[in-house]
Order: sequence, then C-alpha cells, then structure tokens
Amino acid sequence: MNEQLAGALAAEEAAIWAYGLIGVHLREGAEQDQAHAAEDVHRVRRDDLVVRLGTLKASTPPVPAGYELPFPVEDRASALKLAVQIEDGVAQAWRVVLPVTEGAQRVDALSALTDSAVRATKWRKLAQITPLTLTFPGRPTT
Amino acid sequence: MLTGAVRMSDSGHTRRRALGAGGVLVGLVTLGGCGLFGDDPEPAPAPDPLQPVLDEALALASAYDRVILTQQTLSARLTPLAQAHRAHATELAKVIGTTLPSGSAAPSAPGTADDTVAGLRKAELAAQKTAVAACKTAAAGRAALVGSIAAARATHAEALR
Repeated sequence: MNEQLAGALAAEEAAIWAYGLIGVHLREGAEQDQAHAAEDVHRVRRDDLVVRLGTLKASTPPVPAGYELPFPVEDRASALKLAVQIEDGVAQAWRVVLPVTEGAQRVDALSALTDSAVRATKWRKLAQITPLTLTFPGRPTT
Repeated sequence: MLTGAVRMSDSGHTRRRALGAGGVLVGLVTLGGCGLFGDDPEPAPAPDPLQPVLDEALALASAYDRVILTQQTLSARLTPLAQAHRAHATELAKVIGTTLPSGSAAPSAPGTADDTVAGLRKAELAAQKTAVAACKTAAAGRAALVGSIAAARATHAEALR
C-alpha cells in the first residue's frame, strides 16, 4: 500500500506546484477562486498522506528535483489545459489506491479520485473542451 | 430442519409411501440431513453484488436516449454520457460473467416524468451512491473499475449542471 500512497503523495505535490502557475493566468474572480480552492484541497490531501505514510513508517518519498511542464503555460488556455491534465493525473494516482485499501480508507481514496475527476470536468467546461468527461476517470489513457 | 422436511415432503412423496406411516418424519429428516434429496431444486445463486451497478448503467443509458429523442439539440452534449454508461455496462458484464441484452433491441423502460436534464442529473447522483457502496465492499480486483464508474457518474452530474 505504501507504494500506491507514495504515488498519490507525489501527484498531490505536483498539483500544488502546478496550481501556483495556473492561477496567475486565469481570470480574476471565480476562475482564480476555483484554482485556489483546488490548491487548498490538494494541500489537505498532501498533509493527510504525509501523516499516513509517517504512521506506516514508510521511507520519505524522494522529492523530485524539479518539475517539468508538459507544455509552456503562458496564457489562460494553456493554464486550463494544465489544470485538466493535473487533475486527471491525481485521479489516476488515487485509482491505484483502491485495490490495496478496504472499507473507510478505500472510500476516502475514491472520494479523492472523484473530486479530481469532477474538478477536471469543471476545468474542461471553462476551457470548452469536449467531451467534458472521461469514460473511466483515473484509468490511464495510453 | 423441520421446515426443510416439510418443504421436501413433496418430492419425497413416493419415499414416504414406501417408508410407511410409522417412520415417515424420522426418515424424511434423516434423508434430508444426508442430502439424498438430490431432486430438490438448487437455490438460485445470489445475484452478483455488481449487478445493481450494471442495471443502473443500462437504465441511465436508456434514459439519456429518451431525452435525446425528445430534445435533439441536446444530442451533442448527452450522447457521450449515454455512451459512457454503455461502456460501463459492457465492462461490468465482463467481470460479472453475464451477457448484455443486445444493443438497441434492448427493451427500454417506459419514459417517466423525470426524462429531463434535471432528472438525469438526479439519477446520476443516486447511481453514484450505488457505485460508491459497491466499490467499498468490492473484491480488490474489481475496486478500480467500480471506482472509476462511481467517479464517472459524479462527473456526469457535474457536466449536466
């Protein structure tokens, strides 16, 4: 389970980092608020995971030296595209936690997967990317 | 045991006569206990725990079809969601080991007053709850599939907002 939780932690860390870049390119008001709210949720998830992995006495996951953007983020369109990609990635990281957990822990992982999938849909709506949904959220597409 | 013996007395009719009045009950109980009443119907196997999730996927797909029929302008928006439910049903049928009613020939439930976008949204949220409950207790090998279906239903509800 540690391996899967460490994967979720890495995805949450990447999301927090990415939202720092995304926010500044979005429209002030509702859009930026949505980005800040998303970042806050990812921080809470990250902190929970750090505690859980600590309780499990897992070795600290390696902190990546730096993140690389999949594409340049210079305007609103690319920022929204990155937000979609980030949330899809977080959903994938939580999906693999489902088979290695049970009961309340699995429900919690499912709620993280679902929240990210729903946020991805919200970002697609703003970016006018269709379809707004994935057939199997969290399932790797490649 | 007594209920068993009484229930089995039909199929044990010939034996009962052969045994004679005296040892009837004892004989039935003993024979029942030995499992010799092989001609009793097998109890129906319990339905697969994912069957309700599959049924809901098909019902939702049909509900989308009905709304699209009456409101063609919504087709582009709703068709991908209907297709997603059919894809979910296909994969659920695979893991359950059952077959789906064939394509469009499937008997579609009669339309209801809830055949509106708001009704679909309500149905998605209810179906999400079913899938979450099924995911919670699913075998490890099924958890990811059911989890993705639960999340998909939540995103459908969001897309319909």
